[in-house]
Amino acid sequence: MGSSASQLTKELLSEYQELTFLTKQEILLAHCRFKELLPKESRNTMDYRVPMEKILTMPELKSNPFRQRICYVFSTSEAKDGSLSFEDFLDFLSVFSDSATPEIKSHYAFRIFDFDDDGTLDRNDLVKLVNCLTGDAPETRLSQEEMNQLIGNILEESDIDKDGTVNLSEFQHVISRSPDFVSSFKIVL
Amino acid sequence: MGEQADGEFGTPVLGDFDDPLRSGRRCVVTLSAREMNVQRSGYQSREVMQLVDCIGCQVTGHELSVYFYPFGKSWPQAGTARQRLVLRFKAENDEMARRWAWMVRERSRHELPAQDGCRYGLLPQPCRALVLVNPQGGSGQALSIFHNQVKKMLMEADIQYTLLVTDKQNHARDLMRTAELSQWDIVVILSGDGLIFEVINGLMERADWRDAIQKPLAILPGGSGNALASSINNYSRFPPVTGNNLLLNCTFLLCKGLISPMDLMSVTTVSGHRLFSFLSVSWGFVSDVDIESERLRLIGGARFTLGTLWRLASLRVYRGKVAYLPLEAKIDSSPNSQQFTTGTNGPKDTLLVPLDQPVPSHWTLVEEEELVLVLGVCQTHLGEDFICAPAALLSDGIIHLIVVKAGISRSALLSLFLAMEKGTHLQVQNPHVLYIQTRAFRLVPHSTKGYMTVDGERVECGPIQAQVHHQLGRVISG
Repeated sequence: MGSSASQLTKELLSEYQELTFLTKQEILLAHCRFKELLPKESRNTMDYRVPMEKILTMPELKSNPFRQRICYVFSTSEAKDGSLSFEDFLDFLSVFSDSATPEIKSHYAFRIFDFDDDGTLDRNDLVKLVNCLTGDAPETRLSQEEMNQLIGNILEESDIDKDGTVNLSEFQHVISRSPDFVSSFKIVL
Repeated sequence: MGEQADGEFGTPVLGDFDDPLRSGRRCVVTLSAREMNVQRSGYQSREVMQLVDCIGCQVTGHELSVYFYPFGKSWPQAGTARQRLVLRFKAENDEMARRWAWMVRERSRHELPAQDGCRYGLLPQPCRALVLVNPQGGSGQALSIFHNQVKKMLMEADIQYTLLVTDKQNHARDLMRTAELSQWDIVVILSGDGLIFEVINGLMERADWRDAIQKPLAILPGGSGNALASSINNYSRFPPVTGNNLLLNCTFLLCKGLISPMDLMSVTTVSGHRLFSFLSVSWGFVSDVDIESERLRLIGGARFTLGTLWRLASLRVYRGKVAYLPLEAKIDSSPNSQQFTTGTNGPKDTLLVPLDQPVPSHWTLVEEEELVLVLGVCQTHLGEDFICAPAALLSDGIIHLIVVKAGISRSALLSLFLAMEKGTHLQVQNPHVLYIQTRAFRLVPHSTKGYMTVDGERVECGPIQAQVHHQLGRVISG
């Protein structure tokens, strides 16, 4: 599942091309960038899991308010610590690539927003989501009134079956109405 | 039996009628300049109805029916939603019934709500209306809304109508461009803002545009973008309402028949096309698509979607230049104002110079070039719950320009959009938000990628400019 060589073999490269939306160039670039995140002594093994803190130093993620959630969602670590293996890293880049379909993107956007990982976006998820956006400091947070107004609006717009939560299909329906969702759900190295 | 009638206008008139609901009982109706007072025999209290709430009456033989739509008195909608109230009386004979119907109609018509500073006219009575309905509007409900709710009121108010169901985009526009307009006194649009845009542009494409654009338009909200209807509800000083209540208010206004002038913006795009806008020019932060009409809705009409939130997370900066004519500028007309090639109708844009030339020297240039959002609006509302320019009036001769500069925090931007639901966003002095009142402006984006809309309709993204034409259009308002 991993490679003990510091170079990608031809077989692995084509396997990755099959499994992801990434082009050959994008995979090679990802490989380079991932290696830079590895500590010197581990640069020959691709089995290594890069800790979340290191991933978050990447310029492409630094200013993204959902960067931690992104790491948690794509991490396959058993410790659920947001660390990424090279394959996790490729998965992440694949979903955020130019070629990934809107359905894939909205599916992952949903998982990123689902802070408690319970498969629906309930009020608590939405509150955390908004706080992520505005910043959690007292000066930047929305007032309680604004927060209620906003959550009320979102639920009214998105909660089609009126059960107080937004499920995946309601989410995808709503997202399909945002003309630039797809282009803004993009991270390219 | 009979009446003390002094037919002179304004003088109270008394009439004795049979109460058709309670056989054998009588009621005395007093009609003053403003009110109808009904004293039913055997009852202590009198019913007092305001004639300003009356939309008309009908006579069948001896029987007179009077139709009122006052604001309801019962909780929970006290004071905010109108309710239908019909009063019926049985006169001594046909002639008395007809005479009373005439008096009620006359006095109801003279009770007109004021529209400060504006000239206004009245629809003739009876009146011939062309009713345009977009069958897809209102989630496919527009036609049944017409048949179940609107039609009845038109009949009560003596408005004869011709119903036309649009079957594709630009159907209405093509029709307005070629139709014989003298057959109708008013064009009623039961749809969203999109159909209004088609009608106005169709009228302006005619050779006789100068007269055609004076044909009064009535807007009944029947789609998902009801900015103009909401704005008119606001100018009429009715409490803010949405949905069915908004429809009722607008139909009520149509029945009252008060015509007001309306400003229109002439908008020139980079491709050389000139459009007429009654609502907005926008560029920058966009939220979602109005699924029914497939028009772009800026910021989702402040109805937040999760898409908006994601867009906020990856907040883009749009580079572009904005310039405008300051309201106080003494020099109004530019020496080489836009001339048009033959074939383009409409008033000359005396405040603008061609797009490929620099703006006149007396214009002001907004310094910042990194922007989030640029909105030029003529009306107060951009959506049922989205008050963009609270100070706007139907014909104030002003384009209200809102420019949001880059650097605004996500939190402040969110707060701004939330405040726009109530129209309180300009009360907070945010250094990143500019509010400018002007008569003409130009926007030149640095790139052609991006979304630019006129009245929600997507246009080619590129240099664009607009000028207001004071009181060019005519619309039913209150």
